[in-house]
Amino acid sequence: MRINKVILIFKKDWREIRRNWQILLPIFVIPFMISVLLPMFILSTPSIISMPASSLAGIENLMKNLPKNIQTEIKEMNIQQALIYIMLQYFIAPFFLVIPIMVSDVIASDSFAGEKERKTIEALLATPISDDELFMGKVLVAFIPAVIATTVSFLLYSFVVDLYSLRLLNGKLILPNLTWLLLVFCLSPTVALTSIGLTVTISTKVKGFREAQQISAGITIPILFMLIFGQVMGIVILGPQMIVFLTISFLVANFFLFSIGISLFGREEILSKLV
Amino acid sequence: MHAIETLELTKKFGSTVAVNKLNFEVEEGEIFGVLGPNGAGKTTTIRLLTCLLAPSSGSAIVGGFDIIKDSIRVREIVGVQTENPSLYERLTAYENLDFFAEAYNVSGEQKKRRIRELLEFFGLWEFKDKKVGTFSRGMKQKLSIARSLVHDPNIIFLDEPTSGLDPESAREIKDLMKSLSKQGKTIVFSTHILGDAEKLCNRVMIINKGKKIALGALEELLSNTNKKILKIALRKLDQKIIDAIKCFKQVKEISVDNSTSTVSVVLNDSEEVTPEIIKSVVLNGGLILSVNVANQSLEDVYLRIVRGNNVENQ
Repeated sequence: MRINKVILIFKKDWREIRRNWQILLPIFVIPFMISVLLPMFILSTPSIISMPASSLAGIENLMKNLPKNIQTEIKEMNIQQALIYIMLQYFIAPFFLVIPIMVSDVIASDSFAGEKERKTIEALLATPISDDELFMGKVLVAFIPAVIATTVSFLLYSFVVDLYSLRLLNGKLILPNLTWLLLVFCLSPTVALTSIGLTVTISTKVKGFREAQQISAGITIPILFMLIFGQVMGIVILGPQMIVFLTISFLVANFFLFSIGISLFGREEILSKLV
Repeated sequence: MHAIETLELTKKFGSTVAVNKLNFEVEEGEIFGVLGPNGAGKTTTIRLLTCLLAPSSGSAIVGGFDIIKDSIRVREIVGVQTENPSLYERLTAYENLDFFAEAYNVSGEQKKRRIRELLEFFGLWEFKDKKVGTFSRGMKQKLSIARSLVHDPNIIFLDEPTSGLDPESAREIKDLMKSLSKQGKTIVFSTHILGDAEKLCNRVMIINKGKKIALGALEELLSNTNKKILKIALRKLDQKIIDAIKCFKQVKEISVDNSTSTVSVVLNDSEEVTPEIIKSVVLNGGLILSVNVANQSLEDVYLRIVRGNNVENQ
């Protein structure tokens, strides 16, 4: 595989994406919603601050399953502080897996299916760029914006959260911490690659962008919701060990997924799906 | 060495045979026309030879490389203008050529020089920074041909290159094809504009339902028949006149154009029978406006061959 050809595909596609508001809009809106609006909403909702004790029963499981170091930290907090701390530290964490998936999904769905729709695929397939170079070029153009969007979102989120914690937790900064660094820089890119590999493969098989997006969302969103639900219910806690375990699992899955994706890549089948 | 050589080249899509055991050669520097009705297999043949599709059976050598074993090498040495312009509409004309130049391993100063050369030749240099989405169909077609030439290939495949172009642009493309042929480039092009094939091609291949039904130099195809066409324009058409013409044994085919009241008659021996036919038309009350005897054009030969083939298949 020639890296310069992979980068060539990336550069060409990125130029196109930069001029396509349909694709660009979700890249900006989704991270902003999750990293800024969501924590601000949580922090500014009076009902959370003045939540009755009975409402806290549902999160007891989560509190019991928290890592010991976190339990030690919240021991010194009052119940509202602890609740908000847990929300910001844990409940929102899985949403940072949603960001790279949502951002990359729009781009990856458009990768081959969009070229088919716009009837640009034939000239691309006629070039001496190999199957794996084409495939990886399309993966890269979805992956890099996803990683950048997640990193920027993390910085924004840290700023918003720390502004709160400075005021209400006696000068203590919640972020960054090891859990979040591992989540944003290890698990999140790995999960994004899984989603991208799957979506690009689907994109080669279907006729249009919307079809690719719907199928990939139909597979990835339920998995994410299970993760978010598991976290809220205290079944799966994204602590450092769990994140490392999930990262390794997804890395292994990615190896097989990409091998299968490239082997399933067929120029002939792509051409046969021209609209 | 032949620029292109096919051996029993076949492509099936399920139970449909799109290309059926094609055997032909294209010489270096030749302009080779692939003719046929819609769905005949012209585009599939070009896609097979440019390694966009893999043959179901048979093989082909393009520029010395096997289309199955050396598909990447084949793609490197051929230029392809596809049926659709296949251009990135959000990119500028320059960016489009820049991408394809790099894809075909042309870079640096050579790339810049080549892109400028092509854009200037096609009159697109002043539009180099405009997005292709704003281009007219003719401009897109020109840019699409420029893209196929960006790496200066020796073998060029053009799928309907003059389709949708205004007469001036079409002439520029035809002049370009002649000029490329003079430089030793091999050009294979498919067209349904038979006049273009007649003017440009050294040889043509007519295919129908995936099968080769005629192949040869234009002179050969035209001289294979000594038939002439007698065209009689009348003030008014009458069935009695048509029936009278049909009675001559030298008449092979007869067609009538009601809009111009013209009868076209394919004859085996025009010199002997033309005066007799004219006499018969007059005797049956026909008022003749003009009479013209001409050789069959490529279009006439093409239609006769394709219709004949369709009848055989039935």
